Amino acid sequence: MALQILTANRLTDGIAVWYDVDGRWNESIARAEIASTKDDAERLEAIGKKAFADNLVLDVNLIDVEVDNGFIRPLRLRERIRAEGPTIDYVI
Amino acid sequence: MYRYDEFDHAFVAGRVAQFRDQVERRLAGEIAEDAFRPLRLMNGVYLQLHAYMLRIAIPYGTLNSRQMRMLAHIARKYDRGYGHFTTRQNIQFNWPRLEDTPDILADLASVEMHSIQTSGNCIRNVTADHFAGAAADEAADPRPYAEILRQWSSVHPEFVFLPRKFKIAVTGADYDRAAIQVHDIGLHLKKNDKGEIGFDVYVGGGQGRTPMVAKKIRDFLPEEDLLSYITAIMRVYNLYGRRDNKFKARIKILVHEMGAERLSAEVEAEFNELKNGELKLPEADVEKIRSYFALPDLPERPEGWANLAAWKKADPEFARWVDQNVKPHKHPDYGMVTISLKPIGGIPGDASDSQMDLIADLAEEYAFDEIRISHEQNVIFPHVALADLEALYRALKPANLSTANNNLITDIIACPGLDYCALANARSIPVAQEISNRFRSHERQAEIGELKIKISGCINACGHHHVGHIGLLGVEKKGAELYQITLGGSADNETSVGEIIGRGFEPEKVTDAVEVVVDTYLGLRLSPQETFLEAYRRVGPQPFKEALYGGASAEAA
Amino acid sequence: MTRIWNEAGFVNDDPWVIETEETKAGNNEKPILPLDAFLEKAKAGESGLGVLIKPADNVKELAPYLDRIALAAVSFPAFSDGRSFSHASILRERLGYQGEIRAVGDVLIDPIPLMLRVGINSFAVTNPVALKRLEEGRLPGIDKHYQPTARPSQNPHSYSWRRVS
Repeated sequence: MALQILTANRLTDGIAVWYDVDGRWNESIARAEIASTKDDAERLEAIGKKAFADNLVLDVNLIDVEVDNGFIRPLRLRERIRAEGPTIDYVI
Repeated sequence: MYRYDEFDHAFVAGRVAQFRDQVERRLAGEIAEDAFRPLRLMNGVYLQLHAYMLRIAIPYGTLNSRQMRMLAHIARKYDRGYGHFTTRQNIQFNWPRLEDTPDILADLASVEMHSIQTSGNCIRNVTADHFAGAAADEAADPRPYAEILRQWSSVHPEFVFLPRKFKIAVTGADYDRAAIQVHDIGLHLKKNDKGEIGFDVYVGGGQGRTPMVAKKIRDFLPEEDLLSYITAIMRVYNLYGRRDNKFKARIKILVHEMGAERLSAEVEAEFNELKNGELKLPEADVEKIRSYFALPDLPERPEGWANLAAWKKADPEFARWVDQNVKPHKHPDYGMVTISLKPIGGIPGDASDSQMDLIADLAEEYAFDEIRISHEQNVIFPHVALADLEALYRALKPANLSTANNNLITDIIACPGLDYCALANARSIPVAQEISNRFRSHERQAEIGELKIKISGCINACGHHHVGHIGLLGVEKKGAELYQITLGGSADNETSVGEIIGRGFEPEKVTDAVEVVVDTYLGLRLSPQETFLEAYRRVGPQPFKEALYGGASAEAA
Repeated sequence: MTRIWNEAGFVNDDPWVIETEETKAGNNEKPILPLDAFLEKAKAGESGLGVLIKPADNVKELAPYLDRIALAAVSFPAFSDGRSFSHASILRERLGYQGEIRAVGDVLIDPIPLMLRVGINSFAVTNPVALKRLEEGRLPGIDKHYQPTARPSQNPHSYSWRRVS
């Protein structure tokens, strides 16, 4: 299976977050905990469900990633944009 | 413009208190997300890719400097210093915290603004012609009626859980600048021979997955019957609109499946029961509301004529801006000014907090404190003396607000797209930026003439691509972005849905494809006076297909 | 646990039971009948009946039999299905029904003030948060209204479409 990580948006401020190796919802994807087996993925999914039920986060999803030179890169463009921010400059 | 009375203030304050309570309950876990979601949507709070998004209503696109300054304040205090003006005359902020939204709404309420029903399955912001009240071709100002509809539709208990969203637009001129034929209800305000006011009523227009042009179901509905008749339409829709399939839930599908005649009969039957009841509009009430929209006292400023001629002669850039961005006003000494939010290479419809503050200051100084937002994502000053145009231009220029491109190819309409929006399949903004840069030359833009490019990042069509002269629809194919081109769409009186021209283009190829379309047009037009739309309607898609795809297969992606 | 609430408070000993294939009213209970079954009984001359209006039903079919109805229930299978707001409005305003209209189904606290305004005057509530708020007597409504509705409210002598609670 593809490598997977858990992502969501924080309830209080809506900021996109990833569940990291320290067990925290992190605003950076860099330290996301990676599931490489079905069991790991199920475990992450359960963590996501609980965090939703505990009103920490919403829109919880497992997403597919690859690891490239130590960097975690989501496979879907949409998730890459979520991780990196809008692809345009703020300058108006 | 309309001013809140005590009742309005109390209502909005009540709404803020209600939402504050709802947010507190959500944060405390007392409301589940699926029950909270419709409540927050009805206060304009979406969840997007990176954060929440707050959509604030700008009723029929009208606001004053005090309100614009508050929007700048919100951008600074609660967001990241900018906002985005939308194709429904609203404004969106991309980074509000949910826990701040009650305070934001309280700040808005202090300047008579709100975010009520800017999302959700309810009646949304009623939009209107952005030149209302100033345009020479207007039969009557549509905004008093938009205001009456705004009030009447606010927390209407019967219509809070419709099958789907519901959008109403009103125009008061024969030339439709409000795109009424692609709205769920479109109202064409007219006067009859006796000078009485009435509405032609159109139903079932819309874009999105199944674009449809509205059908007229009523000729000249008398003014006093407006609320009764609209209630009848809403009740029929609420009861019979489909609820089994989100993509078939708009009234346009009901019109299509029932037939316009049968729907009209159902509405008429319901209307007959409502007609002489509590919803009848007394003339006095309409007059009172109308009085808020009186034209400001416009002093004679005949010196503007001579001055303008001299200034234009002295400065060709200024001349270009006047020619392109200033339209004739009812009053001969005045003009309707479009302040472009489409600088070359910029983000269509975005404004920074300092730009908003400047616009507010200039509105006070030169525009009788009246600002409009058009559904094409530009700012309008409807009343500016010709004699003040030069000073206004000089003030706009350093802030990158003086781009002379109204209705030209670089006046692009684009949704936020995949850079922000959770619904999107592809990005729109970088595409708009690249096209804008490619066509930056004034001479080239002038040569091309009026050409409306509209870009949507997904089938929901918030960029209104279906009614673009050139429409671009971003799709996802095999994990990558692809752009379908449609041609010949239009949102004016001869509303037409653009035709898909062939297979889509990768992001790197889209601008070239647009250029091929433009060059093809230039090559086949009868004269420079024949616009792109006119030429397309004359020759059809074939020349463009050939130019883009040659003999190769051209089936749509 | 489902409790019945109206503006006077919670009701004990409410006898009404929604009749389905599986559930029938027992002794000391009264059935809320599906529309077809109600119409049959009403035509046969029975009265004191309970009727359930589902979202797809045509509430106007009740018109000749209003005096046979002791309880009209309007159904919200999902809270987002707003058809019963129109059913209640028509029942009150068009048909002139003056008896009890009860909301049943997915009844949550936030829509209750809106339901009251369209003429619904009792509620079968299961949601725990809703029950708690009702116990506290805290309804999340706004008392200024921009439209006349089935439930009469005061005219503030402002624009013709405005009302206050």
